[in-house]
Amino acid sequence: MKVWKFIPLLMMCVQSVLPGQLQVVSTYGYIGDIVSRIGKERVEVVTLARGDYNPHVIIPKPSYIAKLRRADLLIINGGQLEIGWLPQIIRQANNGAVQPGGRGFLDLSMHVHLIDVPTGVSRELGDVHPEGNPHFFLDPDNIPAIANAVTARLVELDSDNQAYYEANNKELYALWQQKMKGWEAKLKPFKGEKIVEYHRIFDYFLHRFGFTIVGTIEPLPGIPATTKHIADVEKLIGQEHVKFIFQDVYNPQDASEYIAKRLNVKLLILPHDVGAVKEADNVFSVFDEIVRRLTNV
Amino acid sequence: MKLKHTSIPMVLLLFLFHSGPLRAQANEGSAFDQSKFVPDIAFILDVSGVARDMNDQKYTSLSIPGFSYPFLNPPSPSGLNAHRGMNFNYGEMSLYSVVDPYFDLFAVLGLAPDGAGLEEAYFSTRKLPYGFKVKAGRFLASFGRVNEQHEHYWDFANRPLIATALFGEEGLKETGVQATWVAPTSYFFVFGAEVLNGENGQSFGTSGFTAHAGNVSIAPVQGPNLYIGFIRSSVDIGDASILFGLSNAMGKTRNDQGFTTPGGTAAAIDANTNIIDGEMTVKYSLDAIRFISFQGEYMRRATDGTEYAYDAFNALSEPSLDKHHSGLYAQVLAKIDEVWEIGARYDLLLQNDVSMNSVDQRMPSDLPRYSAMIEYNPTEFSRFRLQFDRDESLFMPASGGWLRQPYTQVLLQANLTIGAHGAHAF
Repeated sequence: MKVWKFIPLLMMCVQSVLPGQLQVVSTYGYIGDIVSRIGKERVEVVTLARGDYNPHVIIPKPSYIAKLRRADLLIINGGQLEIGWLPQIIRQANNGAVQPGGRGFLDLSMHVHLIDVPTGVSRELGDVHPEGNPHFFLDPDNIPAIANAVTARLVELDSDNQAYYEANNKELYALWQQKMKGWEAKLKPFKGEKIVEYHRIFDYFLHRFGFTIVGTIEPLPGIPATTKHIADVEKLIGQEHVKFIFQDVYNPQDASEYIAKRLNVKLLILPHDVGAVKEADNVFSVFDEIVRRLTNV
Repeated sequence: MKLKHTSIPMVLLLFLFHSGPLRAQANEGSAFDQSKFVPDIAFILDVSGVARDMNDQKYTSLSIPGFSYPFLNPPSPSGLNAHRGMNFNYGEMSLYSVVDPYFDLFAVLGLAPDGAGLEEAYFSTRKLPYGFKVKAGRFLASFGRVNEQHEHYWDFANRPLIATALFGEEGLKETGVQATWVAPTSYFFVFGAEVLNGENGQSFGTSGFTAHAGNVSIAPVQGPNLYIGFIRSSVDIGDASILFGLSNAMGKTRNDQGFTTPGGTAAAIDANTNIIDGEMTVKYSLDAIRFISFQGEYMRRATDGTEYAYDAFNALSEPSLDKHHSGLYAQVLAKIDEVWEIGARYDLLLQNDVSMNSVDQRMPSDLPRYSAMIEYNPTEFSRFRLQFDRDESLFMPASGGWLRQPYTQVLLQANLTIGAHGAHAF
């Protein structure tokens, strides 16, 4: 009978909804994309925050509680980026597996080197992160470290598929190194270029490719731009011959636009995460798009 | 770095004898340093300035007739923003830490110039299987939406009218146990049950009483007196999140307001009370910064029992008491940019039916309050709120009934936080 031929197919359908698949919740889009590249069909990934929203202030929707309730693994960016919205959700999810400190909780900031660690911490300095700048995803050299941490944790939770996860990680690494060469070549002419940022979100990217950060348009982290500070930044842009303003998609752009128009500098609205702009729908295309917008001047 | 007291003599000795590396010894001096285990601590300060077209004496003597149990002697408005001019509303210290792998512990201390009190303190489980969690201690009951929120989470400077009318200035804060279960479904469903002492004097109460004339003797309630059940669920429709829920609270209302005292004129009550609550919150994100939200809640209370009082001839009267109260609030908020937020709220006490021996006591009903506010948040740690209230819910006793005493107030509230960063709930 031909029916027998359908059994494997049927099995596959059932498998895709069986709890055999590891349920992973990621806070941000880039994490979700890396996890799905390593876990592929053995893992089901759900991402909480929208990529085009401010990663510091996500509205903690009750639906996130339901997502966390069923998770085997929660992967966060860490470095206090989620502190304003995630802890409450974790507590309400009644899921012992994903409590901080357990095997089902992975804090990626523990697996990379954080820069801009403040020597003194005071909220007089705005919304500072005592552990350092948490936007480490934007250093492409951190992607393999993040992927390794994810792989190790998937293996720990699902050792039967160790070879599978490790092979996928290796594949991602090779692909990433290849792409890195292309980005490096394209960004070489920008070495030493002086830029101004709106928020210190692109620091890792800028350091990696040899840009010099002259200042920020927000006077302090998380504090909106003021007229006085804009005047200071304008002076700085003139003195330092700054040609670019780097800005994320979620902060107000009027201050940056105003400065860009008056001083004839180029305002670049760049993705900071997967989903921040339409073109940046995975970790590769985030960097592709940053490079494209930068070099298309 | 800070030296522990115990290490100081050792450091002095080392200076005297120049033996061994000083630095290493100083570090070993902190071998028993526990500072890394200090819980997350936050302190919240709330002060306000109030302008009101009614003097304080009159304002604090007014009441919402019928809503509290011996309707002849209802509570007066007090607490937050009670005085014209400057008000020190509260200083609140909160502590949180993981106890061990299995438990979390929270404590909230209310600090006032004339004393301190433990507002809340409870522990909760971290690792129960199958989506269960148990918490126990003293906490704000998870009854409806606003009751569980601390003052600094409120969207307005005062609690919704119906919540104050039913539970008083402190809300429904009780000692007891709560169990919740979150369903393993793709939609959010939480089911919860609470077993509480039920000491809230505004709607419940556990004290017994004995008449000094007649043979009335009502025993105090021993053991749990208040049982709460709730269910909440949520759906996301595009960028809008909708949270809705139903709660039910039932318990005995056993209260003595001076009835036991010989010659006392006040009444006592022995009744059963049931309160239901329906809540809905909708939050719609316009973009990464701006949102519009709606929040509404409806509560209805039924109390059925006996009142004990003395008549003009000091003889005991025991009328049957039947009370039905309901009210709602509806509020709309809009976050218009990174620092500004505006909002409006409509409060209404609907039903105010009190009957004794089936005789309607003709309590005033349909009591509204209108509020509007504008909020300036320089950062998420400081907030300044300008609020306008027009309150038509308060009365003073008058011959043959009650006389409505509307007032208007404008208040400027400052609320600031230092220390640990509080995570925001939906």
